[in-house]
Amino acid sequence: MTAAAEPLLSIRGLRVEFDVPGGRLPAVGGIDLDLGAGEVVAIVGESGSGKSALSMSLVGLNRGPRAHITGTAMLHGTDLIAASEEKLRSVRGKDVAVVFQDALAALNPTQKVGAQISEMLRTHQKLSRKAAWARSVELLREVGIANPEQRAKAYPHQLSGGMRQRVMIAIGLANEPGVLIADEPTTALDVTIQAQVLRLLKRLQTDHGTTIVLITHDLGVVAEVADRVAVMYAGRIVEQGSRDQVLFAPQHPYTKALLSSVPRIDGPAQDRLPAIAGSPLTGVTRPPGCAFAPRCAFTHEACLPAPPALLHRYGQPGQLDACVLGPDRNLVAVP
Amino acid sequence: MTVTPVAPVAVRPSLRQRLGTPWLIVRRLLAVPVVLFFLAGIVFVAMRLLPGSPATSLAAGGASGDTSAAEITRNQARINEALGLDQSLAHQYGDFLHSLVTFDLGSSFFGGTKVTSLLGGSLPATIELTVAAMLIAVGLGLVTGVIAALRKDTWVDSSIRTAGTIGFSLPWFALGVLAVVVFGVWLGWLPVIGRLPNQLDYKPFTNFVLLDAILQNRPELVWPWIQHLILPATTLALSMAGFITRIVRASVLEVLGDDFVRTARMKGLSGGQILRRHVLRNSSLPIVTVLGLQFGSLLGGSVITETVFSYPGVGNQLVNAILQRDYPVVQGAALAIALLFVLVNVVVDLLYLVLDPRLRKA
Repeated sequence: MTAAAEPLLSIRGLRVEFDVPGGRLPAVGGIDLDLGAGEVVAIVGESGSGKSALSMSLVGLNRGPRAHITGTAMLHGTDLIAASEEKLRSVRGKDVAVVFQDALAALNPTQKVGAQISEMLRTHQKLSRKAAWARSVELLREVGIANPEQRAKAYPHQLSGGMRQRVMIAIGLANEPGVLIADEPTTALDVTIQAQVLRLLKRLQTDHGTTIVLITHDLGVVAEVADRVAVMYAGRIVEQGSRDQVLFAPQHPYTKALLSSVPRIDGPAQDRLPAIAGSPLTGVTRPPGCAFAPRCAFTHEACLPAPPALLHRYGQPGQLDACVLGPDRNLVAVP
Repeated sequence: MTVTPVAPVAVRPSLRQRLGTPWLIVRRLLAVPVVLFFLAGIVFVAMRLLPGSPATSLAAGGASGDTSAAEITRNQARINEALGLDQSLAHQYGDFLHSLVTFDLGSSFFGGTKVTSLLGGSLPATIELTVAAMLIAVGLGLVTGVIAALRKDTWVDSSIRTAGTIGFSLPWFALGVLAVVVFGVWLGWLPVIGRLPNQLDYKPFTNFVLLDAILQNRPELVWPWIQHLILPATTLALSMAGFITRIVRASVLEVLGDDFVRTARMKGLSGGQILRRHVLRNSSLPIVTVLGLQFGSLLGGSVITETVFSYPGVGNQLVNAILQRDYPVVQGAALAIALLFVLVNVVVDLLYLVLDPRLRKA
């Protein structure tokens, strides 16, 4: 699926920088991304690639005296980056909600889960306590929790990890937001529970037409549920396209390296999985050119002067990448 | 597409789990008499290890200039016999334990008033003083601690922390004397002696002034009572407040960094809502712990503060009784103070269970 003609959420030139001892850390270095209504867009990258910084700036959760966030993110005519904290409060939880990883930490340990869902409902809808509770029980049922009347009265520590993540999803979906950011929603779960939770997310997305931004480093998760994929490296999107394009016809050397470091059940048996040499950029200073160049097997002097733009190059229709080298590792003329 | 229901874990908790919380409470309460028993033993021995005896105080006190040394010694022997102090220590301890289990703490060596009736007058006064001090300290500490946490690393934060450290380091007697001189003597704003003005004709029933004012329908008692309470209670409260400020600040800062606070922000809650619904409750556990422990030092401080303000509480009584070697009163007062401390900490333990559902499993 390609981006819808009229994107629901349109991100332009998003930069996120944090003041750290020794300078400014560029977490997100200028990103353009469109999210269509009802699609699942996976944002893939290593730790520190800026995928969380990107998603958290959409709800202003990384605002602070040390954060410098610029660019625009338009949702229903509101710029989420420039919006006042007060304006953003009415968006958070209603138009954009987040399902956090590690639900045990993300849920309040001293409140019943039903109360935590009710709170989400009552913050944005005029509902009586009773009505909100009833709706919370319904939401628990909808996310596949058996015996929801009883479970609503449980505290987070009394539930299993999978159930807690379902509660988190119920909170996220409570007000039927247009955009749901799922920040590594399955990281803390067993593999079997992971699959259940992913299927649940996919089903809810189909039922409600919610746009899901799926933050993950797990390509298996991407293959399972994503419609489109954006691969991030050092704060920039280096490749973007449909799930099949990115997974089966990757263009950027980083995407290729990432894919080849994942074991495949249908591939040839290997003694050792190839790893990407070197380590990701984490410091405050970045090379002027392609951020992946220091680790890339095909670095060319054309990679070094400036970061390559994310363009349609040699990929399939709609597929974008940020590598100046063509498929035969020769220089590509940039239009 | 159908929903895969999550495999139900045991919905019905085991008997032990269901009994868990009440059992925890019972176990906690059962420990109270044990603690008191050991404490009583320690006080009993400590008093008798002190040099001097009630007989010396009594005989010397009654002696006029022409009493001979031999006469004093004879008097002492008579007194010792009358008070039962000529018996062996073991025998005395047996009598003491017997009086404990019958809730009869004996009578004062000086004047023969029953210790229970002495405590009946002084214990409520001390409870009033310490509870008032605790309320002031908690109020002050909570407000300043939360503000300091929310304004972390600003001048507001550092001023509050400095003030807290000063409050925490000031000794009670210095603070008490300062309060007496400034507010009582120089400014004359507040009374500095006792608990109520004599001319008010207060007829104690429960000996809790507020309660009596309600029971006897005497609202005119309340204001003078509060006036008398302000200075000693504040004196007592300041050091505790300084301590609470620090704990609250640290605890609130820690909780503010927790993931569920981020979840609360994600829900679109305002800062005030997040503070009230999510931060305060979760940061209260260390605060409550400190309250229980600090209550002990509050009781210690009340001994000094009551003396400075001539406040008719247990602490004041204890000091006088020790000076006179009035064993039954010392034992009774010490037990009363210990009982207060233990009970407050039982309440603290129970508060844990209320505040943190994770602790409710046995």
